[in-house]
Amino acid sequence: MLMVLAAAVVMLIVLLRAARRRAQVPSGLSNLIEAICVFIREEVARPVLGENTDRFIKYLWTTFFFILFCNLLGMIPTDGILYLVSGFRLAGLGGAATANIWVTGALAALAFLMIHFSGIRQQGLINYIKNFIPHVPWPLRPIMYFLETIGAFIKPFALAIRLFANMLAGHTVLSALLGLAFLARSYAIGGVTILGCAALSLLELFVAFLQAYIFTYLTTMFIGAAVHPEH
Amino acid sequence: MLDFNLLAQGFQIFGDQGLSFLGASFGTALIVIGAAKAIGHIAGSAVESIARQPEAGGRIFTSMIIAAALIEGFTFFAIVVCLLAVNKLGT
Repeated sequence: MLMVLAAAVVMLIVLLRAARRRAQVPSGLSNLIEAICVFIREEVARPVLGENTDRFIKYLWTTFFFILFCNLLGMIPTDGILYLVSGFRLAGLGGAATANIWVTGALAALAFLMIHFSGIRQQGLINYIKNFIPHVPWPLRPIMYFLETIGAFIKPFALAIRLFANMLAGHTVLSALLGLAFLARSYAIGGVTILGCAALSLLELFVAFLQAYIFTYLTTMFIGAAVHPEH
Repeated sequence: MLDFNLLAQGFQIFGDQGLSFLGASFGTALIVIGAAKAIGHIAGSAVESIARQPEAGGRIFTSMIIAAALIEGFTFFAIVVCLLAVNKLGT
């Protein structure tokens, strides 16, 4: 919970500071945040959602930036720094917030609610249930409803598991590799291991961005399928 | 070679833990084979189609990344199941 709180505080500071500059041509931090926001709005949301982009873009931006900041804050070894500076060992501070299944489960539950409530609000409940399945002859309808309902629960569950396991796997591989350095008590092997860990951390930075993008993109696709079902 | 008395004695001493370790490791290896083949196939097709039409490179690259992330989604789900088998169900 502490890391989620830290991510929220960092988000508030960074995003409010970036949004406050009202110059016509943004520069610096505002330029960075605006470039990311425009990318998500134009490349991810607008091809899928079309005219409903502005309704959902706030939720999609929030999701993207929250997952991104949680992933990136997990790269900082806060409990190590705290121990080096003060000698305290605080359990619960450090690690990525999204390396916890409850955090990603909560994000996926919010996505689930967003998908179905916005679909029901757009089409009305009867139409939404009628358009829930593709058009099949009427004997196949019960099994299609069954499969689509299972799919409606499995898709957010897969979102949660994908994000959780990607973050957890990165840190687990790092810890296993560093354990190798502890196992062979020599400077040479330790040095090479630290270089390998540095390379893995760069890969983890890429995975942090990629997983935030994938979560946002898939949520956009699901919202688009609920609001505009294909005929 | 298959001395059942010795196997039964070993089973009583070590219990089921060895089997769960064996199952989890073997399962992880199979998962890696499946995921590597699938993602390698996607990457090969993407590189080939970029070579055919270099100006569509951006869209092809984006589709490749998204397909690879989808495959890795259920790959990591299977890895989590193997980790659970080693940690929780093994003790």
